[in-house]
Amino acid sequence: MRWMGALLAVARKELVDGIRDRRSLATLVFSALMTPILLGVMLTSTAGSARGAEELTLPVVGAEHAPAFVQWLGQQTGVKVVPGPADPEQAVLDRVEDVVLIIESDFMTRMGRAQTADVKLVSESTRERARPKIARVRALVGGYAGQLASLRLIARGVAPGIAQPIRLEDVEVSSSQARLATLLSFLPLLLVIAGLVGGMQIAIDSTAGERERGSLEPLLLNPVPRWVLASGKWLAASALGCVSVVFSMIITVNVLRRIPWHDLGIRFRVSDGELFSLLLLILPLALFLAAMVLFASTFARSFKEAQGYLGMLMLLPMLPGMLATFYPLSRRPWLAPVPVLGQYALASDVLGGQPPGAWLFLVAGVSALGCALLLVGLTARAMGRERIIFGR
Amino acid sequence: MIAIDGLQKRFGDVLAVRGVQLTARDGTVTGLLGPNGAGKTTTLRMLSGLMRPDAGTIRVDDVDVVADPVGAQRVMGQLPDSRGLYPRLTAREHIEYFAQLHGLPRAVTRERTARLITRLGLEAIADRRVAGFSQGERTKVALARALVHEPRNVILDEPTNGLDVMSTRAMREVIRGLREDGCCVVFSSHIMQEVSALCDRIVVIAEGRVVADGTPDDLRAQTDRDNLEDAFVVLAGLEHDGGGAA
Repeated sequence: MRWMGALLAVARKELVDGIRDRRSLATLVFSALMTPILLGVMLTSTAGSARGAEELTLPVVGAEHAPAFVQWLGQQTGVKVVPGPADPEQAVLDRVEDVVLIIESDFMTRMGRAQTADVKLVSESTRERARPKIARVRALVGGYAGQLASLRLIARGVAPGIAQPIRLEDVEVSSSQARLATLLSFLPLLLVIAGLVGGMQIAIDSTAGERERGSLEPLLLNPVPRWVLASGKWLAASALGCVSVVFSMIITVNVLRRIPWHDLGIRFRVSDGELFSLLLLILPLALFLAAMVLFASTFARSFKEAQGYLGMLMLLPMLPGMLATFYPLSRRPWLAPVPVLGQYALASDVLGGQPPGAWLFLVAGVSALGCALLLVGLTARAMGRERIIFGR
Repeated sequence: MIAIDGLQKRFGDVLAVRGVQLTARDGTVTGLLGPNGAGKTTTLRMLSGLMRPDAGTIRVDDVDVVADPVGAQRVMGQLPDSRGLYPRLTAREHIEYFAQLHGLPRAVTRERTARLITRLGLEAIADRRVAGFSQGERTKVALARALVHEPRNVILDEPTNGLDVMSTRAMREVIRGLREDGCCVVFSSHIMQEVSALCDRIVVIAEGRVVADGTPDDLRAQTDRDNLEDAFVVLAGLEHDGGGAA
């Protein structure tokens, strides 16, 4: 390769320059650590709230008005009834309690007359953590009411089935693996962000920064084709993006090993090998993202202007990832050749315990690489434009 | 050897360069003199291969710049209008970077870098990052990296701009040294003293055209002025529009 020396010289210079830049080094460290920290926090808090629902401490106001009901509640597995706070609504608003049950003083009277008695459930449903608890309390109260209803009907000589024309039975078919996949569907998104952010500083600095400093013109005076210069810069940005992804992955796998999976009711069966296979998926994508940033920032006259463009551009690879956490992209192998979307689709299959064929990884990788090379080519062309060389 | 003929460049409605013709021979220093905005920098940019002329030819050592800019850049060393250094690299790294881009072997790179550092008096600051460098030091670094491949043709855009007395003197020494080595040196300036102190030949450009071309003595004779500065004012047509407010 005739231009290999020059290409490596550019890449090495950009890396040295980038690593000496505190701003870019800090971004790299941040991007590598962000994934495992965010994922760890998300998973442990989910585990915590699931555990909260199983071992429910239920504050009850007015327990003395319905001793039988309260006694029944206390007998249910994992439920512990405690006296409720003086001001239940304030306690929930202040997040002292997740949920409080209030029994009205006429509970026994109405029960005696076979009327409907009122029980209030104070909660704040916008709180993600409280949701499993609220659902559990609802189910408990509903269960007690159902039992009483049946007894009342039987006492009047009516079969309980008459008052219950339909019985709804929950049949959960999603495997624990699939439930895990929903939780882990954030992982590809976080890895993509790590790749994007990791190489971003160098990509901006070596294009928009080069224009801002006025060093693009002297650089282009060297007898080296522009594609060599663009490729060298791309290589440097990609290298840091990949470093960021690999470190994210290594730390994340270690975090996942420490998550209390049994509290989530999930057997964590995704092997380390399968997790690391995500790297084969995300690394080519990191090359594509570096090329994307490189291309976009070539059109910016300054570092600041480039950051403005990238604010919008960053949403591009992130949107499908966020969407994927709501509308699963799993089992859509035909998405593989589409950069970003393809990686999300295949990653969600891996995490769902149905690893796709190796050839799909290859298709996704080759396609991402092809698109990256196209963008590098376009960057090289843009770098030759008079408006970009001299327009400062 | 640089030969420019019939060079034209238009920016929108403005014809910035209209038919510039000049020849710069080896072993001589050719000064491109003209008021600000006369088309000097645009001409040099086209010569550097980074800007495409609308018409005309440029040949450097028999390489057609428009057809083969990379080939022409190999035989040229240029100090462009924007010096553009990398604040986090040292002076030595700047020179070595350009040497690598020229494909010089490692040993040659090291030897030439060391030589240029000595020649330009950069020894004390060679391994310091250029972030805190003075204007003169920056220009020296930019010049050193432009000369690392020992080009036969050296093009300098306003080389003494913003330099103090000592740096200006050093720059002149370098330019004289290049002439003694048999290089073809072209430099642009709007400062009369610079041109008269150094140039074997002067090409005066005004409003995108060559208005005079010759030795300093030729120009004085041509305009019937003893003072080269007066000659320049006459040639550039400055006295007609109120004394050089171009």
